[in-house]
Amino acid sequence: MMRGTSLSFSTCGTLTLLAFVSVIFFPWPLTIMLAFTSSFFIPLLPLAIGLFADTLYYTPHSGTLPLFTLYGALAAGVSIFVHRQLRTGIIGR
Amino acid sequence: MKKTFLVKRNGLLSLTDVSWGVFALACAIIVLLVRLIAPGFFWYVFTPVFRVADAVSLEGHSFISGFENAAKLTAQNERLANENTALANENQALAQKIIDIEDLFTSTTAKSGILAGVVARPPESPYDTLVLAAGENAGITLGMEAFGDGGVPLGIVSSVLADFSRVTLFSAPGVTTAGWVGNDGLAITISGAGAGVMNATVSRSAAIAVGDTVFAPGPGMLPIGKVIRIDSNPTAPGVTLRIQPALNLFSVSWVTIRDTGVPFSISATSTP
Repeated sequence: MMRGTSLSFSTCGTLTLLAFVSVIFFPWPLTIMLAFTSSFFIPLLPLAIGLFADTLYYTPHSGTLPLFTLYGALAAGVSIFVHRQLRTGIIGR
Repeated sequence: MKKTFLVKRNGLLSLTDVSWGVFALACAIIVLLVRLIAPGFFWYVFTPVFRVADAVSLEGHSFISGFENAAKLTAQNERLANENTALANENQALAQKIIDIEDLFTSTTAKSGILAGVVARPPESPYDTLVLAAGENAGITLGMEAFGDGGVPLGIVSSVLADFSRVTLFSAPGVTTAGWVGNDGLAITISGAGAGVMNATVSRSAAIAVGDTVFAPGPGMLPIGKVIRIDSNPTAPGVTLRIQPALNLFSVSWVTIRDTGVPFSISATSTP
């Protein structure tokens, strides 16, 4: 059964869907905000959203990097680390 | 006790915890693979989605603008109508002048170009790019220049597929363009700063003021934007011009693609 860290199945699903939809329908700063907020509950979501955004919009040429994927990976890494610390510490108990 | 602790620790990255993330990541990778393997099919699928996004965005703007002050809107409408009349007259005079000049030089610059619809634009598309619903089949090739309403240069075609292409705007980071500024046509190098803004550096002694028009090469000198701010650092020999595009990039819906033969410093690729 798919569910997030501390939110219900349907809420996590809605967040995931909303984040994907925002890549196409909303301005990108809003997408970043949404992906960052969702990362508290779904750690890998920023990476997925970054990859999806770069799939749609990134054009490789000199001097540019797929920043959305890179920052998404970074956010996902930080989020997973924080989740790990919370779970092993006394805060999450 | 120890066993319980280890079970909890191992459960940190368990399937139940990360499954929504894994599911999202799998979807993103599948979409990426489709784009890499079948780029044409990918854009055929996503173009209707972008069109719906455009329609929704337009409706949203209309809805929000309905709450603004009616009196303020009326005054603004009247002012814009007056400006429009003045500009139409000026445009007519300039058009006549162009015809006269073309007659003199008997040039072939009056090419109509390729009209292409814009599928995605900033701010939805980051990196200052436009996705166009026209590609190789319409005659678009790498390095062609894109023009907006009124013949305003917008950017360079940096990626081409059979039926779709992408334009990297002059405001994209890493793009530099030779241009001119002011009535005297002072030569400058315009560099993209992202988010629709361009920069240029000129000598402190150059008499450039806020509001001066910036030109880019096309057929001749074409207005690309205006100087909106001049940043001066006492320790630097020059001043930095902040340039705003002449056209609102957020509302570009159609562009004309032409081969101007002007080289730009952006290394375009044929990657889909």
